[in-house]
Amino acid sequence: MNGIQIKHVTKQFQEITALEDVSFNFEYGRIYGFLGRNGAGKSTLINIIANRIFADSGEVLVDGVPSRENMKVHEKIFCMSEADLYDKDLRIRDHFKWIGRFYESFDLEKAYDIAEKFGLDTNKKFKALSKGYQSIFKLTAALALNVPYVIFDEPVLGLDANHRELFYELLLRDYENNERTIIIATHLIEEVANIIEEVVLIDKGKVLLQDNVASLLEMGYSVSGLAEKVDEYCAGKNIIGCDELGNLKIAYLLGEKTPLPSGSGLTFSTMNLQKLFVKLTEKGDC
Amino acid sequence: MRNLKAVIQYECTTSFKYIWIFYGIMYAVIAFITVLVGISTGDFSKVTTNCLEINTLIYVGILGALGFREDFKMLIQNGFTRKYIFIATFSMFCFISGTMALVDTAAGNLHHYFNQNYDSVFGGIYGYKNLFANWLWLFLLYVAVCCLLYLVVLVINKLGKSSSICLGIAFGGAVLVLIALFKYVFSRELVNSFINFMIKAMGFMADGTINLLFPVLTLLTAAAVLGGGAYAVLRRTELK
Repeated sequence: MNGIQIKHVTKQFQEITALEDVSFNFEYGRIYGFLGRNGAGKSTLINIIANRIFADSGEVLVDGVPSRENMKVHEKIFCMSEADLYDKDLRIRDHFKWIGRFYESFDLEKAYDIAEKFGLDTNKKFKALSKGYQSIFKLTAALALNVPYVIFDEPVLGLDANHRELFYELLLRDYENNERTIIIATHLIEEVANIIEEVVLIDKGKVLLQDNVASLLEMGYSVSGLAEKVDEYCAGKNIIGCDELGNLKIAYLLGEKTPLPSGSGLTFSTMNLQKLFVKLTEKGDC
Repeated sequence: MRNLKAVIQYECTTSFKYIWIFYGIMYAVIAFITVLVGISTGDFSKVTTNCLEINTLIYVGILGALGFREDFKMLIQNGFTRKYIFIATFSMFCFISGTMALVDTAAGNLHHYFNQNYDSVFGGIYGYKNLFANWLWLFLLYVAVCCLLYLVVLVINKLGKSSSICLGIAFGGAVLVLIALFKYVFSRELVNSFINFMIKAMGFMADGTINLLFPVLTLLTAAAVLGGGAYAVLRRTELK
């Protein structure tokens, strides 16, 4: 398994550059958090990977096979989308039946089992389901497919807290039993922070960073104290953002920590993934 | 091949039941009007209708348009390529057109057999001697209409609303220019030879005989051109 390779992908929508020469890999057997602000280019890239739209230039390879108009990747990748693309007039059980015919790796029994856990009525038509249950159906289909690469685009949209917990639990259990690549594109960073192993952060059509969650959390920290002292400490370091209140300042840094000067009155704090994300993507000046 | 078979089955199965709903409604409406007019005039023999295949043409036109709107999204979600989507959709057009042409051929000929005042579209043009030609002609006509509407919807989706309206206006203008060219610019010989060609293409020979192969070839060509055009646009179609 070579993973998903994104090579120099560029996509333009009229005047807007949605993706600009994006290159990175999703390796096999990892859980990725694919993060970015609204309009950062996440869905555009997912749609290109899933052959729903075309890149203006560059290519996407799934296990070395180009994903553009290629049925050879059909059994390799599945994308659960935020948009409702399913036939609204079909009953859920009929959807399961057809997905089972479309994909060799679809586990029908598992689909019914997951549906039961969520309380999804499989006799109902897709259009008769609430927004939350429509998401649950889409999640169920994705979880019951044993393809090596699964992409979830905003998977918990409209789900209540209990159902979100259940989804994360099922996802992890499934991953334990069946190693594969799971890519979760979401805004709910703190919810997925404990699940994801790797982070790909995209902003304004460019990849801002790709790293392991543990090392990111280790490298990200904040220093607070008197503004003057904070500035002295931060000189030459990678400052990703800061907040100021009067003469007090908090600087957010990414990199190796150096000891605080004695008597400076400065203190370290850890940064969670959400804070790191916010500081990396906001336009604040320091 | 397993995937192709499954996607063709999906397209055909999910469209098949609606044929019978359509025929049920159509014949119920005809029966209702017949009874209404018959009772109000007191004479059922005066109640007549013709060319019921026109209704089927409207139905297959809608089918052609919906062939893109709903199924493209569903099939692209399930990882199918545009080539597979086109093959499946075209197969569905052929399956539905074939079935409806069969029903319409049987219904039209039976109707005419019991009521000489009734004329089907094919029977009215070519007569009632060749049932297979009747079915084949209707089948190709329905497929061509499906492909035409499929192409139109694909083009509208590709261009967007404003550009499609402009294209529609340009197309209307081109038709008017073409009519003007035929009427005022082209020579009488050129116009006559074009008309004769079209008449021949529809199977009416100069010696007064009817050649049923020519209209079949004409409709086959139309379906192939429209279907090919639809595929050319679909290949470049993106999910919106």
